[in-house]
Amino acid sequence: MLEPEIKEHNRFFLNMGPQHPSTHGVLLIVLEMEGEYVLDPQPVLGFIHRMHEKMGESRPCSSFMPNTARMDYVCALPYNHGYVSLIERKAGIEVPKRAEYIRVITSELNRVASHLLWLGAYLLDLGAFTPILYTFDDREHILDILESITGSRLTYCYYRFGGVCQDIDDKFIEATRAFVKRMRKRYAIYEKLVTKNIIFIKRTENIGIVSPDMALRYGMTGPNLRGSGIAYDVRKNEPYSVYPEFEFEIPVGEQGDCLDRYMVRIREIEQSLRIIEQALDRLPDGPVRSKVPKNIKLTPGDCNFAVEAARGELSYYLLGDGTSTPYRLKVRVPSYSNLSCLPELGRGILLPDLVSILGSFDLVIPEIDR
Amino acid sequence: MVKDTKDYKEDFLNQGFDATETAYDQRGYHLEVVLNVNQVRKFAQTAYELGFYLVFVTGFHVRPDEGHDTGNSGLEVVYQFARYDQPYRIKACVSVPNSLEVPSISDIYQGANWHERETRDFYGVVFGGHPNLNPLLLAEEDADFHPLLKEETNLKSLHEVSWPSEAPEVAKEGAEDETGR
Repeated sequence: MLEPEIKEHNRFFLNMGPQHPSTHGVLLIVLEMEGEYVLDPQPVLGFIHRMHEKMGESRPCSSFMPNTARMDYVCALPYNHGYVSLIERKAGIEVPKRAEYIRVITSELNRVASHLLWLGAYLLDLGAFTPILYTFDDREHILDILESITGSRLTYCYYRFGGVCQDIDDKFIEATRAFVKRMRKRYAIYEKLVTKNIIFIKRTENIGIVSPDMALRYGMTGPNLRGSGIAYDVRKNEPYSVYPEFEFEIPVGEQGDCLDRYMVRIREIEQSLRIIEQALDRLPDGPVRSKVPKNIKLTPGDCNFAVEAARGELSYYLLGDGTSTPYRLKVRVPSYSNLSCLPELGRGILLPDLVSILGSFDLVIPEIDR
Repeated sequence: MVKDTKDYKEDFLNQGFDATETAYDQRGYHLEVVLNVNQVRKFAQTAYELGFYLVFVTGFHVRPDEGHDTGNSGLEVVYQFARYDQPYRIKACVSVPNSLEVPSISDIYQGANWHERETRDFYGVVFGGHPNLNPLLLAEEDADFHPLLKEETNLKSLHEVSWPSEAPEVAKEGAEDETGR
């Protein structure tokens, strides 16, 4: 253990991270402590800052595609989706319907994989070792399915301007349907293992309550916001792609504690499966990629595109100058705003509760640091 | 599917802001507001009272205008706000004066704290009244290094990166198949 630095009478500073297991990546939180109580938690960012925004404005827009998957490596396809949609909006490129359906199916599969990884890791933070073995078993099925068409297991670069790079086949459809069926059977196991576990409830109920006003002041989005009872989801609120064609609900919590955020994600898995099923049922025939110019010229002017990633609203903001290279590319990532409320939320709480809150936020550090 | 939408243009015009409706299909936001430095805090306060949340704060670097006595620095700060209850996105931008100082809105929107620190990291814009402007994403020793400032040769003027005032045209030239890649 680190030697704590004594500040005043029994007040000291403690470094949590950058290698702490429950920060899920290289995140440092400097804690001002008094005994077991946290007085002031201050996150220190930037350990894996790679300046994706500079890379975005120093190469043609098509060469930035692989970068998008390397920000949020847990749920990379929505990052692909946001970027291709941004360029398509800017350059006025039409996308075939079948390609949009494939995008939605793969994005939702990726969202389920992300929530499963979060579930396992969160429970590991809270001291429950067993669930991660089950969630990784389920997640492995999704990774296999996605690998079969995208060619990668994590950092996908599958979408292209005007479509996707490869059509899905019957094997993919069959495997996806089998997964949906299997996943639904697993809910009972998770409920027994986790949701009704008294230790889990004690560690999450009434811990880290985010009020709707606080969420608004910090610009929180995603399941962290919906846990506080605000039904905001970019897929419904600002519909993009073919999401308006599917029926699904936005699960919301009541009071915004860690348990609510947990429940929202668990219920979102079912909603994602519903979208996947409907999309597979109605999958249209046709091409998966439209003809686009090799050098896409980005006309002068700015353009914004927002999508719902697994952790919340992801916005790309682009400034074109008439060339194929963006003049400016801003990436607004959800975890960045979500984590920024920690100094206020974590004041005066017990250290184990801080671990619970951090876990419930579902942070991905490479996304925050960019 | 899409809920009832309210147009907030009047609310901002009544408060004396230069607000223009934009084509959402092309730009991805509904309202564009051009602010001067003194209006930033009032604008943020108005947006907060109307129930908007802060999406991001960032900047960009263009060639400064010539021939102005006051002179701007060539830096622009961009704010984006949106709503939880209906699709409505606002882009607000402000030209940074030569002093590089723009008032901070981090006491109105606490979430702006990190976004403003990041903008100072990348561009060197100083947000007056900000509680802590130390480097956030960059290393502490890089406090005077601003990676997103462009070199003189790469700079474009503001109108070269803005939408033309007449109806924007869609780029469609040399449709060539890319599937071979």
